[in-house]
Amino acid sequence: MILFTLILLPFSYLMLGLLLKRPKIKRQLALVFASANLVWTLVVLKSVNLQDIIVVNMGSWPAPYGISLVADRFSAFMLLLAAFVFLLVTVYSTQSLDKERRKNGYFFYSFGILLGVNGSFIAGDIFNLYVWFEVMLISSFILMGLGGERKQLEGSIKYLILNLIGSMFFVAGIGLLYGKIGSLNMADISYKMSLAKENLAALNPALILIFVGFAIKGALFPFFFWLPASYHTPPPAITALFAGLLTKVGIYSMIRIFTLFLYHDFEFWSRLVLWMGALSMVVGVIAASSQSDFRKILSFHIISQAGYMLIALGFFTEAGIAAAIFFIAHNMLSKTNAFLVAGWVHREKRSLNLKILGNMFQKSPVWGVVFFISAFSLAGLPPLSGFFGKYMVLKAGIEANQIFISMIALFVGLITLFSMVKIWLEVFWKLPPSDKRLPKDTEAKPANRMLAASLFMAAAIIGMGLFAEPIGEYCSLAARDLLNPSKYINYVLAIN
Amino acid sequence: MNNVILEKTTRLFLKVMAIISLYLLFRGHNSPGGGFIGGIVLATGFIFYGIVFGSNEIKKIIRFNSRTWMGIGLSLVILAAVIPLFFGEEPLTGIWYEGLWPLLGTVHLGTPLIFDTGIYVGVAGLILSVIITIMEVLEWNT
Repeated sequence: MILFTLILLPFSYLMLGLLLKRPKIKRQLALVFASANLVWTLVVLKSVNLQDIIVVNMGSWPAPYGISLVADRFSAFMLLLAAFVFLLVTVYSTQSLDKERRKNGYFFYSFGILLGVNGSFIAGDIFNLYVWFEVMLISSFILMGLGGERKQLEGSIKYLILNLIGSMFFVAGIGLLYGKIGSLNMADISYKMSLAKENLAALNPALILIFVGFAIKGALFPFFFWLPASYHTPPPAITALFAGLLTKVGIYSMIRIFTLFLYHDFEFWSRLVLWMGALSMVVGVIAASSQSDFRKILSFHIISQAGYMLIALGFFTEAGIAAAIFFIAHNMLSKTNAFLVAGWVHREKRSLNLKILGNMFQKSPVWGVVFFISAFSLAGLPPLSGFFGKYMVLKAGIEANQIFISMIALFVGLITLFSMVKIWLEVFWKLPPSDKRLPKDTEAKPANRMLAASLFMAAAIIGMGLFAEPIGEYCSLAARDLLNPSKYINYVLAIN
Repeated sequence: MNNVILEKTTRLFLKVMAIISLYLLFRGHNSPGGGFIGGIVLATGFIFYGIVFGSNEIKKIIRFNSRTWMGIGLSLVILAAVIPLFFGEEPLTGIWYEGLWPLLGTVHLGTPLIFDTGIYVGVAGLILSVIITIMEVLEWNT
């Protein structure tokens, strides 16, 4: 019941969204349901802390046969952050999005995304995970194209095609895996893999396909092309929602399959994961430094930061996985908030081109400070959350004797700082160029709810930096559970 | 389009499809059939009706908006998922009722039927809203 509510809440909103007619009621209900979801994830977090792992078998069918929902510390933490980001983006979008889009189902489809994200975080069955991915993707396809501007449709075609190819790889991999192992329950597959020690090479084709599927969703090198091609096209509130939730689910699934399946053939996979992560970091950050659009820079940084999570996973020590979890959490908050600020700039100036923007700090120092906090958290300045995230990743890398990769991470951090300083200087600091045609200020519209959402997010970033120790402690506990898959297997399959 | 034979046939076709779809719905769970296929068959009847009479006529006979039908379908699904919780079972567990009814004999009913009915209504509503939207864009038969 406790996990089922996480699916029931967004699902009930979808039902009410179809039955009710008035947009105003739908908007208020969206806020109510998003808050209820946040409260419920806190309940889940609390009971996971007491019981370690919660398992619910849908329809009372026992584990390897039925569909189980499983939440351990890692999923509970991700659920909490996703709910927090979702609530704040919903508050933000009540003001930032135009009326037309809000009336035509923005809230409806954003709850579709929440349903998919919640479901992916608690799926204990790999086919079920695929279904939740689809729920999430179909809603995101619609949100990407909602409004039907020319630029948007161009972006959504690229997004749609590359993500469908990703889904195809994923489902083909599941099919092969099922053919070899005869089970879809992740705990059961892991258990059977640990029994069949010598025949594991036969599973590699299936696992590679699944891995590539997740790499496409998580926008990792060399599969990231869809992300920078599409993320700058929809309205900023929608991009913020995507940046906060979608790619992180890909990385979550990557960590989940790595700790359950891939670690059996550790030599092969850890090197692949490490180098993929390192290349994503470098390519993402170098591509970002050559861009001159606010949102494009941030989009390329999503790729670079996914690389950090991946190398931390590749170290495969307790500290490494704890760092990966911490880094995902930090990135969800900081990245979303940077996009929220981009939304405000876009609303004021109708443009996000760095060349023609300028002097926004004078316009509103508060927004400037909010951007400063989130951007320099991404760059890794103490005492913000990003500093501790990067510190944990580097420390884990050095402890795991991966000095070279850690040095790359350090170097990438430097270029990240360069990109963030570039946005800061170009958008907030410099005087706007006088000779070019300037974007006119749009008529003053209230932005109080947008600002409130963004301030809450900034407060969470600072809070995560200040309370880095207890949060890091929690992440280590989560990592310890992840590194001990037999515990997960025992809980799900109810073996004692 | 004014063709008496075509109009009569289509009206009959709609009724036949509705009956077949109900048959498929009740057959489900234990034999091939169920809510999804039933909903599609029902929608097929409506689509033929719409091709001959136009989308406004479909809207008249389904009474509510097709989106409302989808909402009703989803609410039935939620109901089927939640009922077992009151019996202390996991969500979506089948709760069965068995009893002797006059005329019908032994009746064996359960929450899977509610779930299937939800899917039936939801799928039919979904297909109808897609078809009605396409017909309105194309200005078919209006």
